[in-house]
Amino acid sequence: MIELKDLTKKYGEFEAVNELNLSVKKGEVFGFIGPNGAGKTTTIKIMGGILEPTTGTVTIAGISMQEEPEKAKSKIGFIPDRPYLYEKLTGMEFLRFTADLYGVSEEAFQTTAFKILKDFSLADWADELVESYSHGMKQRLIMSAALLHNPEVIIVDEPMVGLDPAGIIMVKNLFKTLAEQGVTIFMSTHTLKVAEDICDRIGVIHKGSLIAMGTTTELQREANVTEADLERVFLNLTSETPYPQN
Amino acid sequence: MNEVLTLLKPRIWPLKNRGLSKANGNSGASFLLLGAFGLLFWCGIFAVSWRVLIYFKGIEDIGDILGYKLLSMMLVVSFALLLFSSILTSLSKLYLSRDLLLVHSMPVSSYKIFIARWIDSTIDSAWMVIIYTLPVFISYGIVYQTGVFYYVNTMISMMCLAVIASAISTLMVMAAVIFIPASRMKSVFILMGILFFVVIYLAIRLSQPELLVDPEVFDSVMVYITSLQTPSSPFLPSSWVYDSIRSALSGSINNSLFFTALSLSFAGMIVSAMIFLSDAIYFKGYSKTQNAPARLFKKNVASDRIFNFLPGPVKSFTVKEIKTFLRDQTQWTQIFLIAALVVIYVYNFKVLPLEKSPIKTVYLQNLFSFLNMGLALFVLTAVTARFAYPAVSLEREAFWLVKTSPLSIRTFLWIKFFIYYLPLLILTEILIVATNLLLQVTPFMMILSTLTVFFIVPGIVAMGVGLGAAYPDFKAENPTQTITSFGGLVYMIACAGYIGLVVIIEAGPVYNLFMAGIRNKIITFPAWIWIVGSFTLVLVLSLLAISMPMRFGERRLSELLT
Repeated sequence: MIELKDLTKKYGEFEAVNELNLSVKKGEVFGFIGPNGAGKTTTIKIMGGILEPTTGTVTIAGISMQEEPEKAKSKIGFIPDRPYLYEKLTGMEFLRFTADLYGVSEEAFQTTAFKILKDFSLADWADELVESYSHGMKQRLIMSAALLHNPEVIIVDEPMVGLDPAGIIMVKNLFKTLAEQGVTIFMSTHTLKVAEDICDRIGVIHKGSLIAMGTTTELQREANVTEADLERVFLNLTSETPYPQN
Repeated sequence: MNEVLTLLKPRIWPLKNRGLSKANGNSGASFLLLGAFGLLFWCGIFAVSWRVLIYFKGIEDIGDILGYKLLSMMLVVSFALLLFSSILTSLSKLYLSRDLLLVHSMPVSSYKIFIARWIDSTIDSAWMVIIYTLPVFISYGIVYQTGVFYYVNTMISMMCLAVIASAISTLMVMAAVIFIPASRMKSVFILMGILFFVVIYLAIRLSQPELLVDPEVFDSVMVYITSLQTPSSPFLPSSWVYDSIRSALSGSINNSLFFTALSLSFAGMIVSAMIFLSDAIYFKGYSKTQNAPARLFKKNVASDRIFNFLPGPVKSFTVKEIKTFLRDQTQWTQIFLIAALVVIYVYNFKVLPLEKSPIKTVYLQNLFSFLNMGLALFVLTAVTARFAYPAVSLEREAFWLVKTSPLSIRTFLWIKFFIYYLPLLILTEILIVATNLLLQVTPFMMILSTLTVFFIVPGIVAMGVGLGAAYPDFKAENPTQTITSFGGLVYMIACAGYIGLVVIIEAGPVYNLFMAGIRNKIITFPAWIWIVGSFTLVLVLSLLAISMPMRFGERRLSELLT
């Protein structure tokens, strides 16, 4: 469903992403972890069609992002880490704006928009200006907008930032349910517990390169740690010197 | 086309949501006040242009030529303004706006995003020029007793000019973004600053306005008239608009329609070419802008150690303020612009044909010097509006650092004050001394004007910093534009009132002292009391101008935080 081939992105001399190759199957929840500045957001921006790669290709649901960007983007629900929302629009108007651009029919919009807002506990705020929303509410609104057109792929950068514990549980359950329905989820996160709980596979990116990939158990083996949690695996894989075990 | 309209909706919908915003507060009142000032200014332009055109019409033989020359100059200046304004707006709308990440992630072709942004940018950059040239065109219509065709044709021609200017600017911006490394995106601004300087300088110099008031340089009236009639370049879009409007004024409808059609067809052609090009290069340019901006100069120019004598928190804020100012390349452009304006300002004094005036030169030189003091202070007001007024708003989201630091709001504002005070004082004194030297004024006038300016500059800077603090906007996408807000208007009115008052208070005593000097007269005791009283009053006013706005700003900012 998602395929990255020899993906490289250079900013001048600096190589943010280096020869990245990976593929994610339909209905899989893929976690993308790595230290700050490892290249996670750059990769996600390239996958979302916001940034051009220096070399390499991105294929979403069999459609090349470079050759048919509009078609590829229509398959994606994109949730950036620091989303910009039009502060002077109401929540419902923002959904309408998104629906129009994704070609959601009026009928479908009428039936789904309010339901989605209700699912994200935003129904009471539908006609309030976005400027009056809290950070967590804005995050939930951008998620609602991303789901409005029934995407086949969800690309999400740091989904839990700004959410309260109830919100985190809700998003975790939502992603699990969507995956069961066949939606592919590509998620970058620093919250290793979330990655451990819901991801089928995890990729570790460090200095622009994918240094490890697999299930939690496979990563433990690769990091030479036994019965350790993902945090320890992560530190062992990304530290210059091996991290001491307790 | 539907997608383009949808992309414009976030711009249109907020207009109907005005009532919903809780942050609006007194926006209704300030909107009315700003509207009233705008209308007043519009009426002023109408009155002046109508009066001037009536006067021109009354001059035999060359009246019409003068009227047309004025029209031609106004169109060239409008075109230059539209070009520059479009460069800045299109760069911001197409490459720097914060919502671009969101719209580029949506399944819409990049050329459609481009079209929507370009329409938005064209409206933003042109509406003011169109609205404020309208009273001039109306006065032409009334004075030349034209019909409906003239008004309709003028509106179409001006819209074409706005579209052409916006398309040319956008093409330049798109090309610049591709060729200039995106990591140095902001350097584009510097390039534009220089370009603007060159355009303005050439526009002013090439029109040689000083020659128009000096018919002696022409051998005969006929040569003078011929020079006034010299047509501008036939390749300039403003020339087509001029020819079209001029033909409509003189009743030649066919001729007028030809030039309007020329403008329309060129506008159509350049817009099509621009959209075609945008499909190929716009997204590449946008993608490049997302690179982390690189610093132009990696070495620290100034050492922090020179501020070691200051207490810790004061030092840290002072150093931060200077560093962020110097590293923000958008500020440099403004400095280029100011340098350009200063050069033109001073140059104008150099070419003033004072010796040809029937009034005694020494009197005129010193009168100009006195009036120049007021003018230089207005220039200072504008520069302060650009730099010192947004100083507090420029803290943006980082303002929490000020709130949580062991630094009082008062100290924070005084740091801002001193950072802007010294350079602005130097700038104004340079203006005053340079123009006085060119005017060859008396030593008395030189001392008086440099001293007056020395005492007034802190007042104006304090009004900028204080009122900027009283009406901050930490969420503004571009804090330098906060001067167009209600607080900015209060600042402008306060400064104009203050400068006007000082000039009025000093005018009488200065005249007395000056005339006594040239006529070798003794100043009487009551006159001395008047003179000393006036200068003391100016001093008191200046002290109040410093303390009152700073306290007001401190109080308002503190209230905002609680």
